[in-house]
Amino acid sequence: MGSDALTYPFIFIALYFESFMLVTFLSSPARARRECGATVVPLESTPQVAVIVPCWNEEATVAGTVESLLALDYPVDRLSLILINDGSTDGTGAVIDRFALHPQITALHKENGGKYTAMNIGVDYAKDAEFIGFLDADSFVAPDSLREIVASFAEPGLSAVTASMSIHEPQTILQRMQYAEYSLAITLRHVFASINGLYVTPGPFSFYRRSVLRELGPFKHAHLAEDMEMAMRLQRAGHSIGNALRARVYTKGPTTLPKLVKQRTRWTTGFLRNVLFDYRDLLWSRQNPVLGFLILPLGLVAIVGGILIFFIALTEFAQRLLHMLSLAGVAPLSYAFTLHPFSWFYLPITTVVLIGFVLTLSTFIWMSLGKNLSKTPGRLLPNLLVYIMLYGIVAPVWLINSISHVARGTRTAWR
Amino acid sequence: MSLFTRNAIIALVIALGITGTIIYAVSYLNRARIAELSTIEDQLSIDTLSLDTQFSLLEAAPCESSATSTTLTSELSDLGNRLSYAEDQLGSDNQQVIRLKEQYSLLEIRDYLINKQLAAACGTKPVTVLYFYSNKKGTCADCDKAGYALSYLHTTYPALRVYSFDYNLDLGALKTLIALLKIDNDLPAFVINGKHSSGFTSLADLEKQFPKGALATTTTPTKK
Repeated sequence: MGSDALTYPFIFIALYFESFMLVTFLSSPARARRECGATVVPLESTPQVAVIVPCWNEEATVAGTVESLLALDYPVDRLSLILINDGSTDGTGAVIDRFALHPQITALHKENGGKYTAMNIGVDYAKDAEFIGFLDADSFVAPDSLREIVASFAEPGLSAVTASMSIHEPQTILQRMQYAEYSLAITLRHVFASINGLYVTPGPFSFYRRSVLRELGPFKHAHLAEDMEMAMRLQRAGHSIGNALRARVYTKGPTTLPKLVKQRTRWTTGFLRNVLFDYRDLLWSRQNPVLGFLILPLGLVAIVGGILIFFIALTEFAQRLLHMLSLAGVAPLSYAFTLHPFSWFYLPITTVVLIGFVLTLSTFIWMSLGKNLSKTPGRLLPNLLVYIMLYGIVAPVWLINSISHVARGTRTAWR
Repeated sequence: MSLFTRNAIIALVIALGITGTIIYAVSYLNRARIAELSTIEDQLSIDTLSLDTQFSLLEAAPCESSATSTTLTSELSDLGNRLSYAEDQLGSDNQQVIRLKEQYSLLEIRDYLINKQLAAACGTKPVTVLYFYSNKKGTCADCDKAGYALSYLHTTYPALRVYSFDYNLDLGALKTLIALLKIDNDLPAFVINGKHSSGFTSLADLEKQFPKGALATTTTPTKK
């Protein structure tokens, strides 16, 4: 079987996915959500909200996280912050103690037990809140983000609301790549929230109705993907998860490749283990066909396809390289770089190339829409170029790593 | 019908529409490539026939047509490059590619013969390489290298006349040429100014096969 024959099904599925995105983006539920804004909820009628910040060895960032929460444009008597030091071994405890006397803040210390245990303690403390949110201690919120979140809860039937995440001040090459990737994720989350297709309520600034958390029970270890597990639990119980497009939250992306691979391996193994084992009933579920027939199956296909296409591309690249190297010694090297007159005849246009072009172009458009609709600051174009150059090379590393972890039953590390 | 079902169906129609359009566009482009090759071949066919006719008409002074012959050889080389690219894109078993290769081989043989006659009549000594290759998998490990070396030599010394032939092409005239030159299937095989050799080791070894000084001045006129 030729490599093209293996590639065609995956690129067609990708094209179908992009087409579905387009149609759903233009459908009335997504349009209505784009028109919804913070002005829906006046300041005087804002509900009681608690934000829980679980911290583990975050001394460098947690102060900024808390300060961004204190700067939220929200009545101070209706917002409480619960900071929980989950047995940090660095100076995190001392940093959160600096905020302990603030009237809005409760600072707690506990032995290390995992993020989900810290989150559950926070939920126990947030007894008077109507909505409970979480913010990772390496993330920072925009001042109007909470009002955007609360406004989204005005939609009937929503049990949880996610925010629009982006990378905080991208510096390294890998952070720049993630900036473009997160811009795409903003659009994806917006589109799939409009048809209740979200399967993760990310750590940075996702909110839940307190009544729903009480109904569903505490967070679980869930293969280190407690945010994914809770979202799947919500979906299994028939709840809906929304998205506040303009609720901006900025997170510190991993700076080095090993850190990035470790983070993504945790996410991907969490997805695989939850979907394939703990929440297998969501696959092909008629109760939520968006998740059951489209998003979860395509998530699995994307992992397999990503690895397969990477190996096909790698094989073809290696073959071409070997061929070039074998010819390199035949004639002077300068001959290989001789420019030939342009002719349309030699344009390397094939079905795979053209569909790949359409997919790439549409991805760029989604990224641009994600950035602009959420009003995320920063420049997309330079980061987009980094994304083009790197993502196809580095993403397969964590995809392969994740498959290997799940197949061998390896315990995935947090950091 | 639910929103999801409606969107899923519309998305399928869009995806199929885009795929169909792209497949049609690529097919159209490939047809255009074949048409372009066919047009070039038709033109070259006319030019070759014209040269042949000129040669017959000017039996007394045939050397006046030699400039045209050189131009034709260069155009043949360009056609060969395009044909090789089309073969890569469409596959060596594509019937249209095979038909075009047959026409191309005939043009090459015709050009070779005319040039041979011109050289004899005008007293020139052009350096001519007949190159036999195979692109059947496993039959000629060094054909890529040999073809690349000859392309380099032809680019560097434009007056060098290189005629490439697919050894396995099922064409009567080519089979006759192979039989006359006694080329066996030890490929790549070369006939450089009538001298036979086979196999490829390096550009330097290939250059040694050429007459002394031929690669510096490939068309040395001699007085009769």
